[in-house]
Amino acid sequence: MRFRISDLGLVKCQEQFRNPKSRIPNKNMEHTHDHYHPPGLQHQFEDMKQQEESVSIGMWMFLVQEIMFFGGMFTVYLVFRSRYPMAFAAGSNHLDVVMGFINTLVLIVSSLTMALAVYYAQKGNRNMQVVMIVLTMIFGATFLGVKAVEYTDKYNHGLIPFSNWNKRTPIDGEKKTEHSSIVLPFETRAEAAGGANEEHVYSNPTGKFQWNYGEDLVVQARDAPNGGYLTAAEKIGYFSNGEIDKDKFRDKVQIFYWIYFVMTGLHALHMIIGLGLMAWLLWKAWLGTYSAEYFSPVEMSGLYWHFVDIVWIFLFPLLYLLGRHFLHGGGH
Amino acid sequence: MAEHNELEHTEEHQEHMNIPKYIGIFLILVVGTILTYWTATMDLDTIFPGANTLLALLIAFTKMTFVVLYFMHVRWQSKLIWLTALAGFFWMAIMFAFTMQDYLTRGAGTFTN
Repeated sequence: MRFRISDLGLVKCQEQFRNPKSRIPNKNMEHTHDHYHPPGLQHQFEDMKQQEESVSIGMWMFLVQEIMFFGGMFTVYLVFRSRYPMAFAAGSNHLDVVMGFINTLVLIVSSLTMALAVYYAQKGNRNMQVVMIVLTMIFGATFLGVKAVEYTDKYNHGLIPFSNWNKRTPIDGEKKTEHSSIVLPFETRAEAAGGANEEHVYSNPTGKFQWNYGEDLVVQARDAPNGGYLTAAEKIGYFSNGEIDKDKFRDKVQIFYWIYFVMTGLHALHMIIGLGLMAWLLWKAWLGTYSAEYFSPVEMSGLYWHFVDIVWIFLFPLLYLLGRHFLHGGGH
Repeated sequence: MAEHNELEHTEEHQEHMNIPKYIGIFLILVVGTILTYWTATMDLDTIFPGANTLLALLIAFTKMTFVVLYFMHVRWQSKLIWLTALAGFFWMAIMFAFTMQDYLTRGAGTFTN
């Protein structure tokens, strides 16, 4: 038996893979068959349909483990939020909803351009494919830029849940931190309702996590008629000897900020990886690699990009929109 | 023979979605996002506790369904892909359910200080 690796076509096929314009089968190839050989078809597959299905199932298996990966974080969120809903609502209300909203739209637009990139790849339209990939990259970068602005704002306000990682403010309060230049109507309302006007005058010499808001609402919730609406964990977790304990409440809000930073941070990491994928796709698309017959890499990168979009679709309401109705609407 | 099959398959692929359809799905997602924000400012918890979160999640699931079916083309994929996608969510549901049946039945004080 003479059986060489080249019989599988794994070696020689690469040549056609690199040069998709060569539609004529290479006579020198040691294939056992001599039918028309589409560009990009790896030789272990019967035809493009089988290859596409195999590639798809592989990508979906990867996405399923990504679901489990983010699922772990969502489980953490579920456990702590079911324990401390008030702390979560208070923490959530200090996130920048306008930025979160804009980012949601930006990601949806990028999903559209990604879907269109796949569409044009299927059509074999190289120019529009390149345009759509570039647009996807621009929107992805915009998302990360907005995220960076948000993170900076959290740093300036002492909301990073890690000691010494926040902006240090001297004790005498000479260098007061400036509020974000974007004035948010709901935040002003929150200040009016919660009386949290000391926001700008705190001192933070060691860069600790700072929290000074919402305690009055917790007391209100406890003293509400019919036994109030705090959870059993909250009744223990926010109070010492029947009095509101600011430190204990702050620690619970800090948990929310941990979850916020880990979840959005992991999501941002996925965006960065996605941008890397796009850069590679852009190069390949520029070379005219993809055609109506071979576009799997574009489609698989699209699946990844849409998955990252879906994660954000859940992160936005779960992190940014908690308790917006009652913390700003003036009581329950 | 093989050539014929491949072309047929490609044409089949292109029929499903076109640019107006993609933009339609995109608009549904935008409307869903606006709806999510708008409903979050209304107090639905007077109906029953957690109604706000439930509605936000329902909208998020609807948006996800559109993305998965149309942007990710799952609607026209094989049953194996359907099964894989659904299995991911099924397993996540198991993780949520088994975790919460533990935490929700614990004493309040044993979890933290």
